[in-house]
Amino acid sequence: MGKKITKHDLYAARIFFNAALPLLRVVVESRRDLSRLFKGKSFVFQVTAPCVRVKGGKMATHFVVEDGKFTVKVEEVHPNPDIELAFLSLKDFILFFSGRGKPLPEIHGAAKHPLLFASLLRSLLVMANLLQAEEAPKRLQDQVLLVKLYFYLLPAGISQLNKAGHEKIHQWALTSPDRAYAFAVTGYPALNSYVRVKEGNSKAGRGEYPRCKPFLTLRFDSPLHALDILMGKGDMIDYIAHQYLTVEGAPEFAALIGEYLFTVGDYAKGLYLDWKETE
Amino acid sequence: MGGMNYTAVESTKMATAEIFGKTLVELGEQDPRVVALTADLAKSTKIGDFQKRFPERFFNVGIAEQNLFGVAAGMAKAGLIPFASTFSVFASMRSTDQLHTDICYQNVNVKIIGTHGGTSFGQAGSTHHAIEDIAMVRSLVNLKVIVPADGYETANAIRAAYETEGPVYIRINRGFDQTVYTGEHYGFQLGKGVLMTEGDDVTVIANGSCVFQAVQAARALEHDYGIHARVINLHTIKPIDREIILQAVEETRRIITVEDHTILGGLGTAVGEVILDSGHACAFKKLGLNDHFSAIGFHEDLMSINGIDTENIVKTAIDMIKRAHVVEIDADGRATRALKFDDRDFEAEIDWTDEV
Repeated sequence: MGKKITKHDLYAARIFFNAALPLLRVVVESRRDLSRLFKGKSFVFQVTAPCVRVKGGKMATHFVVEDGKFTVKVEEVHPNPDIELAFLSLKDFILFFSGRGKPLPEIHGAAKHPLLFASLLRSLLVMANLLQAEEAPKRLQDQVLLVKLYFYLLPAGISQLNKAGHEKIHQWALTSPDRAYAFAVTGYPALNSYVRVKEGNSKAGRGEYPRCKPFLTLRFDSPLHALDILMGKGDMIDYIAHQYLTVEGAPEFAALIGEYLFTVGDYAKGLYLDWKETE
Repeated sequence: MGGMNYTAVESTKMATAEIFGKTLVELGEQDPRVVALTADLAKSTKIGDFQKRFPERFFNVGIAEQNLFGVAAGMAKAGLIPFASTFSVFASMRSTDQLHTDICYQNVNVKIIGTHGGTSFGQAGSTHHAIEDIAMVRSLVNLKVIVPADGYETANAIRAAYETEGPVYIRINRGFDQTVYTGEHYGFQLGKGVLMTEGDDVTVIANGSCVFQAVQAARALEHDYGIHARVINLHTIKPIDREIILQAVEETRRIITVEDHTILGGLGTAVGEVILDSGHACAFKKLGLNDHFSAIGFHEDLMSINGIDTENIVKTAIDMIKRAHVVEIDADGRATRALKFDDRDFEAEIDWTDEV
């Protein structure tokens, strides 16, 4: 892997910083054993990596934690975080979060806040173990959490790729009327998410799409069947035929959104690093 | 993506056409006079279900739509109840003479099912887009014309046609219709529009696939701007429900019609005729194809290109409300009507920040 930052590195970095890392809040809030660790705590935690192509020369996501409640700030560098993971390069950051390598970051503030750091590390590991798992979790509650992470990550990833100018996705967004593509599991409304696209703009959202019925909804009949598809274990056509997955709305567009979901997945897994042609 | 073949997706739900096929079988079981005819499109029009169940009461006349209608008229004269099905573009135009003279002039009991209506068979090109059929058939004497909004309404329309003596033309889509209703029991009556949403700022009158778009537009108008749009599903264009139209004119003063059809002679024209005839005035806009052929592609994209999707209905409603706003002025306890420009900010920026 070369040292020069490619456009694909930037796409991957945006997905990690703006779509994946923010899921730490979801993981902590969803797991009582983790949220208990932060009860009553107030601090700022930040992850950064240098990038000459962005304003300020640094990409970052930080979490402002007040009395145990997490607020996520993306595309904002906090000047004075209590704890910071500062990667030495964008490539290191991508390798680390895609699970393709373990280039460790500089760790600031751990000595001063050892218990907080340990709690954050544990939470990050729980998130990484879930997102990098090759098999679906056995317990239903873990399946539900993992589906939620995917459902939040993938639409946000599509939106981030559009905003980053990913050729195919941005071109699609540019020519799109006002349409929302939603993701749902019957009986689990808390998992709903969507991405709205209109004339080059996009917005990833959580919960039910509020304006009207989405243009298309990919609806799974169970968390496990959702994971089968999201983790690449099941065949989409086969699942539609068995009604494990129904396409509500405009079925002819399911393949399109499916392709973009897998594009995000490829960046998140760092698969693009194996591509021969990078800029 | 632009192909016309469907495999697994087809297995999930082809609501409108499937329900048509099943309802026809149901009628066939009830009444031995019911027969089905096709012009070599049994599979595409889903009339093949009837063929399987009643092969002796099913007739394929070949690719010969004029013959289809001539044979159907003869069967009706002999006491049968023929359901003749072909693509609506062929039903309305290739065989207009037979429809006019053999069926309508003789006022025989033939039911015509025109499938693949509007641009619903978008990928097949302009030869298969039925964008003038309603204008054609609406002008024919004795012919009743229904454009159902979804599969449930199609079932109701098929039964209503069966129960109604005389010729009926039912225009349904290719199949991938959005579902508007949750079931068949919502009070369908031939010749009576259905109030889909209450509202007094603007009325959207639609039929066929545009009903779903109109209902979604009403939701978006309410969510984004607090505009209350009334939506009427005017499934029967002939005989037309004058009462529901004129009530909307009186109570909302703004009418938008939406149809997957040319705006020359279809739903919008029919609604406009009612309003003109009444002597009432209102703001009025017809959405549909404005004297041009459609592009070719997926139905959803064509609806967007042709301005009959949710987004354009929302835009049109806002434009109409911005231009002039009839308000109630309650100065001294009496309501007075006045005309003024609406000063609400409809151009508010959408927040495109991703939720984290």
